Amino acid sequence: MTMFHFFNCAILTFGPHAIYYSATPLSEYDTLGTSVKAALVYLGTALVKLVCLATFLKVSENDGFDPYQELLKAVIGFIDVAGLYFALTQLTHRNISQNHKFQAVGLGWAFADSVLHRLAPLWVGARGLEFTWDFILQGLEANANLVLSISLAALGSLMWLRKNKPKTLIPIIYACAGIVATMPSITSYLRRGLGWHFPKVVGFELFTSLSMAFISWQLFSACQRPSS
Amino acid sequence: MVLSKNSGGHRGMQESMYSVIALVFILVACVELCDAAAAIDVYRLIQYDMSGSAYGSRFAVLNHHAASLHFPPGADLSRAVLIIPLRELNITFVREYINQKKPLGGLLFLLPDIFSFENGGNKQVHEKEKLKNLLAELEQLLIHANIPYPVYFAFENDEIDTVLVDIKKNDAIGQPATATTGGYKLVIPTPEPKKVASPTITNIQGWLSGLKVDGDTNQLPTIAIVASYDTFGAAPALSVGSDSNGSGVVALLEIARLFSLLYSNPKTRGRYNLLFGLTSGGPYNYNGTQKWLRSFDQRLRESIDYAICLNSIGSWDNELWIHVSKPPENAYIKQIFEGFSNVAEELHIKVGLKHKKINISNPRVTWEHEQFSRLRVTAATLSEISTAPELLQGTGGLFDSRQFVNETAITRGVKLVAESLARHIYGHQGKNVQIFADGGSLAVNPAYIQSWLDLLSQTPRVAPFLSKNDPFVMALKKELADHTDEVNMQHEVLEGVFTFYDSTSARLNIYQVASVTFDLLLLLVLGSYLIVLFSFLVITTRGLDDLISLFRRPPSRKVKTA
Repeated sequence: MTMFHFFNCAILTFGPHAIYYSATPLSEYDTLGTSVKAALVYLGTALVKLVCLATFLKVSENDGFDPYQELLKAVIGFIDVAGLYFALTQLTHRNISQNHKFQAVGLGWAFADSVLHRLAPLWVGARGLEFTWDFILQGLEANANLVLSISLAALGSLMWLRKNKPKTLIPIIYACAGIVATMPSITSYLRRGLGWHFPKVVGFELFTSLSMAFISWQLFSACQRPSS
Repeated sequence: MVLSKNSGGHRGMQESMYSVIALVFILVACVELCDAAAAIDVYRLIQYDMSGSAYGSRFAVLNHHAASLHFPPGADLSRAVLIIPLRELNITFVREYINQKKPLGGLLFLLPDIFSFENGGNKQVHEKEKLKNLLAELEQLLIHANIPYPVYFAFENDEIDTVLVDIKKNDAIGQPATATTGGYKLVIPTPEPKKVASPTITNIQGWLSGLKVDGDTNQLPTIAIVASYDTFGAAPALSVGSDSNGSGVVALLEIARLFSLLYSNPKTRGRYNLLFGLTSGGPYNYNGTQKWLRSFDQRLRESIDYAICLNSIGSWDNELWIHVSKPPENAYIKQIFEGFSNVAEELHIKVGLKHKKINISNPRVTWEHEQFSRLRVTAATLSEISTAPELLQGTGGLFDSRQFVNETAITRGVKLVAESLARHIYGHQGKNVQIFADGGSLAVNPAYIQSWLDLLSQTPRVAPFLSKNDPFVMALKKELADHTDEVNMQHEVLEGVFTFYDSTSARLNIYQVASVTFDLLLLLVLGSYLIVLFSFLVITTRGLDDLISLFRRPPSRKVKTA
């Protein structure tokens, strides 16, 4: 029955991406190409990040929280933002509205992230006889990551694609983008520095992703009002 | 040139891709290795056939759920493995299960640490004795029964203790072993046991020549000192037999060392040859000794004055027994016994004489000296055991571990035998002469005894599982070669009465598993979550009408065509 468990965890981890694509108007406008291109950009970004981490980071013996190393990792994490910028602005997309563009890019980005980070451990671990809650928690983490990616893509499109924004909202937009971009560092600090257990960290991620999504949705609709 | 630059860049990308893929593979391998909740070494009950009847545990592969002794009454255990720590063992329960052939998935006995070599026991003496007797009884029950499921032994450690506590808790609540948490599965992936083809027994003999005076053409008389070195127990991978007969082997080696010192100088060489024999096949009616004696030529056999066999001299306090098969009135027996008694008195040891007649038609050979007596050679066995052991009893089982052997007992035994032999060889019977006095250059060396005893207590020595060139056998040969003039090895095949099967030890994996109902429940929950997510997204992005229209598509088409 362990293939069963693998199947369960797989649909928890990858199902929401497919559901998102089919449920929203993305499927009607056939934005699959955009998502695929975004996924490829993510792949490239991941490689660049890997090379930078290998070059600049020191291997630590203990599993504690080293502020300097974490700061370095956060700086390298901004390569993610650069990749997202590239995917949003530089790639040639078909004629789709901004609304759908950021959703497709965010979806492709999150899907590539889930596949790269979570597929291999799932395939190897969930099929064994030993039962742990880890893979279910990992699936929930993938869901939170999807929401975060889409909100980051929304904020990114606000920052770089929309030219006329209300002046008051600009700092809020940049602040929220900064928070979402540094989310990986925050979670690793929680896990290593404060010693939170995995379920608690996943709960925190879900909560913050939902609140960030809500805030970015409000910002997006607020920025949309002047132009409409 | 631009092209080459591009291709160089591509190559760089490819290399980093390969390194990433390699990293992924390494990660995958690491994750694969640490899969189980716990993995411990287990040792299988012996499986053997004797005269066609099957004994022991007939299976090795295990793949069942774990249960403890607190299982709910009436539960079906035919697909469960009972984990029984020795301390909670109820021997009548196990006997009932085995004799009534009740179906069981498997048995796993947990032995306390004191029976393993690495961990000493600082427990109270009486608890040790109680456990030892219980284990001896269990062993005798298991090796004489035909058990159609796997039986394994393991040593207690922290991992399995926590697992067992969990299992007991769940059994007490009445939760079956297939619940979502606390269900444990024991898996031993080992191949099916196969017969050991032509098991060999190896006898090692060492010869110390006595002093031959010029002009004397007669064969010098010989004294033989013999000990069997192999064991037989419930778990062949754990049968170290520290007392039976590790103590005898150690004593023989020390006596050989002492006499080699004496015999190295022609001035102190005695007029007797000394023949040291380390025989195998002891538990099987001293089969090896018989083959060894049959290989002698007539002259050598006739020149043997007498033979002393050593059997279990490691855990006695004040009393030793000399077992003989010739009647005590026999002059030779009297001489040997008097010689031993005199030395024993000086060492404050009590020595008793026990006579047991041999019956040539009965294949059962209780003591090693009986093999000599059957060929009309005077022999006696020195032992701490007073009653004759049964077949496959007292042959170095699970309970016979290092904790229960006393080096000082062996040292005193060595002194007794060496002094008696020396007084006989050098003609000092009855005189109060201390040849191997303490503190002298010929003193018995306790460190030597201790180091060899430690080695023997870590080496399982069941004969069918010792190959011809086994390192331990080679070590014995080398040691004997150091102390004697000539060493010979004799390889024989164990007689056809016994057949053995391999697969004596394995690695047990304990997995914590979830039940099928849990998986189905999870599927249900996830399915409903995805449906809710889908409906939520459709409603928020396209509107509620779209969601309803998804379910109303067929009727609307009909309306259109009409």
